[in-house]
Amino acid sequence: MSRTAIYPFVAIVGQEKMKLALILNIINPTLSGVLIRGEKGTAKSTAVRALADILPAIKVVRDCPFQLFPGEAGNVCRECPRALCREAIINREQVETIMRPIRVVELPVGATEDRVVGTMDLEQALKKGEKHLEPGLLAAAHRGILYVDEVNLLDDHVVDVLLDSAAMGTNTIEREGVSFSHPASFTLVGTMNPEEGELRPQLLDRFGLCVTIEGINDPEARVSIMERRLAFDEDPEGFCRNWEEESGQLVERIEKARDLYPKVLVDRKLLYEIASYCLDVGVDGHRGDIVILKAAKTLAAFEGRAHVVKSDIDKAAELALPHRIRRQPLQDVVMDIGKLRRQKRAIPGS
Amino acid sequence: MFKKIFPFSAICGQEQLKLALILNVINPGIGGVLIRGEKGTAKSTAVRALAALLPGIAVVRNCPYNCDPNRPQYLCSRCRKGRIEVTHRPVQVVTLPLNATEDRVTGGIDFSRAVRKGTRVAEPGLLAKAHRGILYVDEVNLLDDHVVDIILDSAASGRNVIEREGISLSHASRFVLVGTMNPEEGELRPQLLDRFGLCVEVKAIANKEDRVLLMERREAYDASPQDFIMRFDAENKRIAEQIVRARHTLKTIHVPKHLRSLACQLAIENNVAGHRADLIIEQAARALAALKERHEVTVDDVLEVAPLVLCHRRRDAAPPPPPSSEEHDQDHETPPENNQEETHEQHEHPHEEQAEERDSTGIQTDGEAPPEEGEGEESNNQEKREGRREKPLEQVFPVGETFKVRKFTAPKDRLFRRGSGRRSRTRSARNQGRYVKSTSSRNTGDVALDATIRAAAPYQSRRRNENGLAVVIRPGDVREKIRERRIGNFLLFLVDASGSMGARGRMVASKGAIMSLLLDAYQKRDRIAMVSFRGDKAVVNLPPTSSIELAARYLSEMPVGGKTPLSAGLARSYEVLRGYLMRDPTARPIVLIVTDGRSNVALGEKNPREEALELAGRMAMDERVRFIVVDIESPGLIRFGLARKLAIALDAQYFRIEDLKADTLLNVAKENIR
Repeated sequence: MSRTAIYPFVAIVGQEKMKLALILNIINPTLSGVLIRGEKGTAKSTAVRALADILPAIKVVRDCPFQLFPGEAGNVCRECPRALCREAIINREQVETIMRPIRVVELPVGATEDRVVGTMDLEQALKKGEKHLEPGLLAAAHRGILYVDEVNLLDDHVVDVLLDSAAMGTNTIEREGVSFSHPASFTLVGTMNPEEGELRPQLLDRFGLCVTIEGINDPEARVSIMERRLAFDEDPEGFCRNWEEESGQLVERIEKARDLYPKVLVDRKLLYEIASYCLDVGVDGHRGDIVILKAAKTLAAFEGRAHVVKSDIDKAAELALPHRIRRQPLQDVVMDIGKLRRQKRAIPGS
Repeated sequence: MFKKIFPFSAICGQEQLKLALILNVINPGIGGVLIRGEKGTAKSTAVRALAALLPGIAVVRNCPYNCDPNRPQYLCSRCRKGRIEVTHRPVQVVTLPLNATEDRVTGGIDFSRAVRKGTRVAEPGLLAKAHRGILYVDEVNLLDDHVVDIILDSAASGRNVIEREGISLSHASRFVLVGTMNPEEGELRPQLLDRFGLCVEVKAIANKEDRVLLMERREAYDASPQDFIMRFDAENKRIAEQIVRARHTLKTIHVPKHLRSLACQLAIENNVAGHRADLIIEQAARALAALKERHEVTVDDVLEVAPLVLCHRRRDAAPPPPPSSEEHDQDHETPPENNQEETHEQHEHPHEEQAEERDSTGIQTDGEAPPEEGEGEESNNQEKREGRREKPLEQVFPVGETFKVRKFTAPKDRLFRRGSGRRSRTRSARNQGRYVKSTSSRNTGDVALDATIRAAAPYQSRRRNENGLAVVIRPGDVREKIRERRIGNFLLFLVDASGSMGARGRMVASKGAIMSLLLDAYQKRDRIAMVSFRGDKAVVNLPPTSSIELAARYLSEMPVGGKTPLSAGLARSYEVLRGYLMRDPTARPIVLIVTDGRSNVALGEKNPREEALELAGRMAMDERVRFIVVDIESPGLIRFGLARKLAIALDAQYFRIEDLKADTLLNVAKENIR
């Protein structure tokens, strides 16, 4: 595979919270995504694109337009526009599979709804008179990462569609004469600049984690950002080679954590801690609790522990709650969760 | 595995939601459930889970319309002719995705068949699929209005009628309609609300124990769905059996007469419009009695289901009770204000004349310092006093109470429906927006491929093709897309920030009103701009933007003081409008003018008031722009009624702040009825 060099993930200076949130999502895709809020020029997009280097490989049917695991969803294959594996599935033959890294699919802001969900295949319709689906971006993003830059600028109806699929893990198409549904569970990664307007709470809630990033104020770190960037621009391959070892270590650690995750145990006492955390700061619904629990477990796995400790929960809450705290629509997003909790606790009865 | 469903019995809490769903499954006559609530409260999970546990139904094999073999009178035309083979299959939950187009909802021509065989055969749509199942509409408040209309139409009549693309057909379509919505995203139209039989308000559980249990279950489910489903299998089966028994006994359930009148009384007490509520209470109570394996409906049954039926239909008849005293100082004035208003309304004109005389003698409007001010906050009060001593001094008033914001949701709605007709959506002329249906009149070049092919399909066997394509399309077949999108409504706030606004806490109240309107704009995702005028000029505080946050910040920081250059304000806002319309000629801006209308600075040599009215008259010429005047003149002994004059000149809607506040058109009760 020939490709242009990507700035290595491990070479990004600072922004630890964002990097952590992204890594947690790779370890545990059920965390359902990250929203990265921040000013322009804070390595948001760089970080997401750099992910491609550290993503683990998955097994997929070769050239499958829906990125399916072999046998994952037979009913989809039976109506698959790709005749080759359709026949194979119907005849119960083996299909060819390959291992390839998880994909990062980018959803551009100008995307139209039909490209996102999929639409009727024009060529098939005119040439053969058959009705087939031309899969959209949601199909391409199944089992991968769907990256939406400037998610707050996205067209409203495209957002609605995204919400729908993100919630169900399924993309259902009922349009333009096509009726089809296929699995579409993806990790939603969005970036936004809050100055351009806020996201709707409904969509906010779909992002498992949320981080706010700022420019770095430490002069030394700033200098090293410049140095690394220059070095990368001058000799991308060489730069990547220098970081290869560190990247490799991270990939290894992520893979270990993926294996460890199902074995991580949580004390019942700590579950109470999570529940009271959410009650203290006041969040809508239960997704907050569930995400904290998952994130805390993932954190433990990332650190190589098989049990969750209290600090995991505090850390997880910092990532999982900022965008879920009940607020007036025009209020700013609270960033310091720990502080808020202490404040709320100090006022009895609130 | 693509279909794994969280077991119904494993859902923690949300008893009302579960009850409402079960009642509907027992008695589809109830007419569906609307689930309102926060995100992340197991709304969709519950619906899917319920369908999974229901016993299968008997259907005619291969019938696309899910015909019931036991009810011959409802068979579709195909099943009537052929021999009927019976098969069983599980109850289906048909999800209506937000991107659904009309042809898929109702059904249309089967395109493949038409091309190959040249026959016109209908292809069943979602309404056929949902027959005898559950039609689940997530985020029903975000769905296109006309799609909602189609669904509600068939839900009410039990039939779906297709009249399109040369197909004329009708088939049975009875389903349990379940809609979910998050009220933060905007309300549903009242007529749609009323169509839903029951309504449940869901909230997160506040109990720590339950929350922990919920997390544990969720984790267990994610770790190993199969085992988890097995664990709750027995409980699920028990519920399923209960439902089956209840369905069976439903017909025999007796409703005593006095309970019927109780149902009516409940409906009347809650000021429900129409009779649907009474009927649904009865149906729901019967279902509940059947579920509890009784033969007669009891008072408790009625009282248990009544909140579900009434909660979205309830309206406030009397004006809302005065807000509690701790909220803000003006609240003390509110009730007497209302009374005074009515009496003064009749004498408006004489007062007006007097008032004008008074004003022309140069009495400063600030002079009418209210005695009520003593009740204000300490610091606020001081500010005001200082303001009075040195007239041109600027003051910044706090934004009015947040409670108003809450109260505002409904009345605002009314305001805009009147003001602009279709504020939320409109047909879109350009190639943007959501494709909703097609038309044969051509002018845009935005070809609807699917509709074109469907139109051409029946003629394919007769048309011979020269270039090897399967489908030959003639110009007459071409259909074009009709797209809809939310019209990027543009709200321009023209705010009077002159000294006269400082008196009597008016600015506080009007800031509250503007903030409420901003919140509404946020829900409707409008673009906004803000122009304010004071002293001798008007300034654009906020150029057109979609960042309501920014507007809110400017609003809270907006200083007040000085004279009232209303004409300058109008002129400046017209400039902003013109610029905006230049860029987006399809926009339909709404200008919200918040003022008392006491213009006293002119642009030219004329009388300031006449000049403002003349200018207003000229601005009203542009038909694309709608105006709304919010009069903030406080009702006292003297009313000038100048804002009303301005409204007439602008051909605008006229409201007083109180009108915006105390509206009783639609008040979705948040609490259960008592």
